[in-house]
Amino acid sequence: MILPLPDWVQVYRPNWVALILIYWSMAMPKRVGLWFAFFTGLVLDSAQGTLLGQHALALVIVVFFNLNFYQQVRVLALVQQAMYVFSLLLINQVVLAWVEGILGRSTPVLAFFAAPLIGMLIWPWIFVMLRDIRRKAMLK
Amino acid sequence: MRILLQARGASLQALFLIVLSISMMFVDHRFHHLEVVRSNISLALTPLRYLVSLPATAGNWLNDWFSSHTELLEENAALRSQGRILNARLQKLAVLAEENSRLRNLLGSSRKIADEVIVAELLSVDQNPYRQFIEINKGSSDGVEIGHAVIDDFGVMGQVIHVNPRSASIILISDPEHAIPVQFIRSGTRSIAFGNGSTHQLELRYLPATADIVIGDELVTSGLGGRFPPDYPVARVSAINEDLILGFVSVIVEPSARLDSSREVLIIKPKQ
Repeated sequence: MILPLPDWVQVYRPNWVALILIYWSMAMPKRVGLWFAFFTGLVLDSAQGTLLGQHALALVIVVFFNLNFYQQVRVLALVQQAMYVFSLLLINQVVLAWVEGILGRSTPVLAFFAAPLIGMLIWPWIFVMLRDIRRKAMLK
Repeated sequence: MRILLQARGASLQALFLIVLSISMMFVDHRFHHLEVVRSNISLALTPLRYLVSLPATAGNWLNDWFSSHTELLEENAALRSQGRILNARLQKLAVLAEENSRLRNLLGSSRKIADEVIVAELLSVDQNPYRQFIEINKGSSDGVEIGHAVIDDFGVMGQVIHVNPRSASIILISDPEHAIPVQFIRSGTRSIAFGNGSTHQLELRYLPATADIVIGDELVTSGLGGRFPPDYPVARVSAINEDLILGFVSVIVEPSARLDSSREVLIIKPKQ
């Protein structure tokens, strides 16, 4: 989360928090819901120095969509799931970019699309890894 | 029916949270009342920050531990000679400072010669690609306050923007929303250097085309505005772009501080 990395990597870094939140809200929608997303977003805002509420807003919207669709998506193949995750990450990105836009900061095109794309590509691994963790811990 | 109610409950909850976060953003942007909330969340995160920077710290420590005896001896000798040189320079500086203060007394103006500093280490670099923030390991319990200037061994890095009890956030001079008042050493021209999001350049906009600037000119803080103490090195001119139609020049300067690689920083406490 707070690891120093060289400048050029920053743009390509997937949105880990959003990815992991999407998985858990898909796997355990009862426990990881809107409030969880809201507070995760506030922590992220505080850690990144963005406006308090910016990431919270984006994550609440993402999780809200997810809560409406998770039952259909859970049974899909990993590749199809990844596309669904891409659209969720894109929504996340749109909300963040809107807020940045209102504040008068433009979002570079590469940064806008690179992070969701990479997020989509690594989704299968995240899914399998977190599913194994969930099964080991017997979380339901 | 029950499922329907649940679905409606979720929508209402979502709506509530969306409105809540939008109003929080508004309040945060306009009034800065939420600084307390932010610093409390940050305080709760402090152990995590230390944990995350642990591998790097442990790496450094192991490196020191295993570096061979001869290397240490060499380094020791090098540092000692460097210390001697610095000491010699310092003696001269003391004389100069003395003379300076005497002359200033004669002129009837007073200015603080030495500033008090706090040494801090880098904890983390912000991952938000649009902002240029760093986090350091000293906070309000060490006397750090919002607005203090931060430098490294080579020049000005930025200023303190948030303070928590055990850590603080620094906005770098290269942040797109940061501007620092500067002065050319050679010609004395004053200007303002804006960050543009790259750690390797700042921009001086709208200087008159007749301004006396050449590539390689050094800039120091001018001290105007009261945030940054005067005469600390800021940058060096690396390119001059003339806009012949408007009659202005915009100057690209390269920061003297190593914004992307310094691990130790100094916080300057202005004397009261």
